[in-house]
Amino acid sequence: MIHLQNIEKVYRTDTVETLALHNISLQVEKGEFLSIMGPSGCGKSTMLNLMGLLDAPTRGAVKIAGTKLEHLPDAKLAEFRNRKIGFIFQSYHLINDLRVVDNVELPLIYRKGAAKERKQLATEALQKVGLSNRLKHFPKQLSGGQKQRVAIARAIAGRPEIILADEPTGNLDSVMGNEVMDILLHLNRTEGTTIVMVTHDEQMARKTHRLVRLFDGSQVQ
Amino acid sequence: MFRHLFKLMWNKKKQNFLLMTEMFVSFLVVFAVMTISVYYYGNYRKPVGMDYENVWVVNYSNPLKTDNKDSIWLFYEALQRTVKALPQVREVSFTTSNVPFASATIMNGVGHKGRMISNINWYNVDDNYQRVLDLKLLEGRWFNKQDAVAPVKPVVINATLREELFGNEPATGRQYGDDKQSRVIGVVQDVKMKGDYTVAGRAVYNRTDTASLGGMEKMLVRVTPDANLAFEGRLYKTISTALKTANVEIEHLTDKRGSMNNMSLMPMIILSIVAGFLIINVALGLFGVLWYNINKRRAEIGLRRAVGATGRSVSLQLITEALILSTFSVIAGVFFAVQFPLLNVFDLPAMVYVAAIVLSVLFIYLLVLICAFYPGRQAAAVYPAVALHED
Repeated sequence: MIHLQNIEKVYRTDTVETLALHNISLQVEKGEFLSIMGPSGCGKSTMLNLMGLLDAPTRGAVKIAGTKLEHLPDAKLAEFRNRKIGFIFQSYHLINDLRVVDNVELPLIYRKGAAKERKQLATEALQKVGLSNRLKHFPKQLSGGQKQRVAIARAIAGRPEIILADEPTGNLDSVMGNEVMDILLHLNRTEGTTIVMVTHDEQMARKTHRLVRLFDGSQVQ
Repeated sequence: MFRHLFKLMWNKKKQNFLLMTEMFVSFLVVFAVMTISVYYYGNYRKPVGMDYENVWVVNYSNPLKTDNKDSIWLFYEALQRTVKALPQVREVSFTTSNVPFASATIMNGVGHKGRMISNINWYNVDDNYQRVLDLKLLEGRWFNKQDAVAPVKPVVINATLREELFGNEPATGRQYGDDKQSRVIGVVQDVKMKGDYTVAGRAVYNRTDTASLGGMEKMLVRVTPDANLAFEGRLYKTISTALKTANVEIEHLTDKRGSMNNMSLMPMIILSIVAGFLIINVALGLFGVLWYNINKRRAEIGLRRAVGATGRSVSLQLITEALILSTFSVIAGVFFAVQFPLLNVFDLPAMVYVAAIVLSVLFIYLLVLICAFYPGRQAAAVYPAVALHED
């Protein structure tokens, strides 16, 4: 499903050059739940960004669902992200001025479709994460766990084949963290969604199919 | 998308209230400037209705201390002949103080068919007045000596008054006033007596008779184009000699027109300066808010890019947001602006207000577009991977 081939990522400023990823090759199969671990600054999020087409590699190739993506224009990449990928972030990234249902609709407004259909998809996604009674709430009225469930609903509302989760339980206590993890596992099991999750939590990582460890930009496991 | 942005802006209305208020006030000031501009431009486009080039105004204090009207009449006739005999004089006319481009105004009203028509400019003129100013006759004729013995007082009216009295029908030969006290012998084109930017208004020209001689304190002199300063001196001497105890002053209608136009434009210039400051204020405010928004909303912009927005759509979003914001202000502004034609404030034609509203709306939107353009482009350049990791 996701194929990283000899990936290298270098961040350059006027004075410093930082090697964030070095010669990474990785294959994530369709329906797989993969976790990525490693110390802070080892390149986990960079790798996730490359998989999510939010960043481009300095060298190497990224292939998703059989499509080579390095030379696609901005509009095509945006469409690809919108259709194929759902994102979950550690700090939720909800828009505080929008209600829960409008936050979940966000990826859908960049697609053609009727407002009614968008609302239906958003409501369904919120039902899946157990928040159908919070449609009209604003993010500020929710707990951390509920916010992350809204973020998951937003990620799955467009029914993407891939979910990229960047430390989704990082800001939550263990109970809420487990709730969020259960939702992701359920999604992977029942809908066959391919999930790549960056985590610092060994326990969470063990629940996934496969674990990749990074250290100083290189894959060590 | 539009609905989504509308919701977003509506939910943030408290944060945007001050900016919206500022844009609302700006709209009203721009509307005031536009109303005056449209009104002035409309007047400016209309013909002057006379030829003021090479016409001089001689001001004098009436020195004749006699009650014998006939001898005053004879004196003026003699003075007119003397001045007209000068080589560079083409025509001479006596009139009251309300000459073209003078601040003096004489107004009257008349009851007609049960209603009062007020604010009619009243001009006491002689038989030469039309030739001196080259007034354009639309129908009928100007005054002549036979009018002195007319059974009903003959008058010449302008086109505006004709329309008010008789609609689109010809006026010559018709009498007006509740007592049928005046008979129209001719209609002239409207004359913009108060400068290029002021409406002509209603006007009645009355033939001077011996009863109204006391008010004749101006002389209009049409001269040849080559009349120079030396000739002006000669004219001054001729009149001073005839009017020994009078203070004589000569002005040119072209100069008076310039002064009058400047005076008319003064309120608009002052209002434009105030509006200019306000608009600069709004522009800087808007620019600042949008700029601040980009920095404050980098994470949101990054998120939008991650879920499928292109750089262009993010840029468009910010511009559209600014336009939606201004729409709230414009709606409130238009609500107040439409009251002016509905309540007939200032007695201006409704079309002036409508045009001013349209221009003000366009102006505010153009201003917002200009101010939002650069911040919008900056937003498009936000790199999603970086923005998403800033909190």
